Amino acid sequence: MKEDSIKKEFLVPSDLSLVQKFSADVLSFLGPLKLDGGIVFDVKLCLEEALINAMKYGHKLQKELKVRLGVEYNEREVRISIEDQGEGFDPGKLVCCTESANLLKSRGRGVHLIRQLMDEVYYNKKGNAILMVKRLKREAGNRS
Amino acid sequence: MEAKLFEQDGVTILQVTGEINISTSPDLRKVFEKNAGKKLVVDLAKVNYIDSSGLATLVEMLKKMKSQGGSLGLAGMSEKVKSLFEITKLDKLFLVYNTQAEAVSRAK
Repeated sequence: MKEDSIKKEFLVPSDLSLVQKFSADVLSFLGPLKLDGGIVFDVKLCLEEALINAMKYGHKLQKELKVRLGVEYNEREVRISIEDQGEGFDPGKLVCCTESANLLKSRGRGVHLIRQLMDEVYYNKKGNAILMVKRLKREAGNRS
Repeated sequence: MEAKLFEQDGVTILQVTGEINISTSPDLRKVFEKNAGKKLVVDLAKVNYIDSSGLATLVEMLKKMKSQGGSLGLAGMSEKVKSLFEITKLDKLFLVYNTQAEAVSRAK
């Protein structure tokens, strides 16, 4: 991201009851962007899904383990990074939740939603950190 | 999240308001388990947010209704909530109606 970006980092205990609080904190931090409702929905959903995955699968809900949540924005995009201290996973090995045989299963939809709703999604090699980028769709004429 | 059950024309309606997320999904499941009817319509018109645990909860409810020979329809979803069903292809699994009235009429 360019130099004009604004950043904030949170350390989140692996407690599912805190997900909405930290999600609200991030959305409040993004407040100056005056994002439209659809983008707020996507950012909130992907942030919460990734945070829940880090707490549940990365940290096995051990509250003392903290998830590192980074948020960075400028007028062009919002970048959210989430890193846990777990062993990581191979996102390529997740079952495809949209295949007919898997539609009734409970797992895999969170990662699928993130891939669909974010513009760019990257995992580190270990698979314990995700970077999600949401571009802000603004008319070229509105940019100065 | 608030959820309430009531009956209309022999069809049970589960009306949900607010967010269906990882914190509120268990409460929705508890209200659903009070339902004894075979025909259920879940009215999502006042649901402004749903996450993957909420989607999974609705899938579990659908499986239970079908296993008991019943039906479950979804009604009144906002465009944004509906888009999540389309992205996850769950729109192929559920009967989806624009309004509660339409869902009740079809379920009767």
